Amino acid sequence: MAKRKSLIKIKPKKYKVGDIVRVDFIVIHPMETGLRKDKKTGKVIPMHYINDVQFFYNDRLITKMIVWESISTNPYFSINMKITEPGRVKVVYKDNLGEVNEKTKKVKPRKG
Amino acid sequence: MERRGFLKGFAGACALTAIAVPTISLAEQKKLKSPNEMDFKKALDIITGGKGAKDSQKVNLIVPEIAENGAVVPVKVSVDAPMEKDNYVKSIHVLATKNANARCADVFLTPYNGKAYFATRIKLGGTQEVVAVAELGDGTFVKAHKSVKVTIGGCG
Repeated sequence: MAKRKSLIKIKPKKYKVGDIVRVDFIVIHPMETGLRKDKKTGKVIPMHYINDVQFFYNDRLITKMIVWESISTNPYFSINMKITEPGRVKVVYKDNLGEVNEKTKKVKPRKG
Repeated sequence: MERRGFLKGFAGACALTAIAVPTISLAEQKKLKSPNEMDFKKALDIITGGKGAKDSQKVNLIVPEIAENGAVVPVKVSVDAPMEKDNYVKSIHVLATKNANARCADVFLTPYNGKAYFATRIKLGGTQEVVAVAELGDGTFVKAHKSVKVTIGGCG
């Protein structure tokens, strides 16, 4: 199972309990549509795209996405999230060939 | 060169000029059908359950008016509606009217999001409209649409 590079960013960097922050998730993935041909061999490049992304906050599902091949290469997904407690954000993503990967990031709200 | 290849799939017959051997290209083009292919009307029917969606000011859709590269078009959707425990925006859908598969993303939200917002980047096969549909807490659907001009000389 190929290991993919991915990244979670929480913006702004400094936040308190009760704030609404933005969570950005980027993953390096080809997102092939199945409509493209290899220039050298002339063969059709088979479909390969992420079809399911789930955002968890302390093991509680906060957002579920069903995505299709019309999302750009190296997809970027951004949602809002309300900070209620320290913990972690986990993103689980699957693609149409059965690859399942996940990425986590710690949530550390500032006091006061 | 990637975007040329991508456009060919959508461009159909006008891609003939770009391919070196025109005799096989027609047959090949027919094969290049996406199994997920779905037109816009059918996709909207499935999402709304046949109810249809009304245009509304509540949905803010931000897309560039002119996209130089159809392979990367940033889309931002936010919905002006409360996100309370029993009354929250249940889902946001992003659709492209003329892509082979009109559906781009279906996002299912929960009250923990705090605000109904979603951003991503999509591919567009040509000049067309991008539509954002949102399901509100009372089960009604609202939408917003904007046209995006894609300025690639994909068809010569």
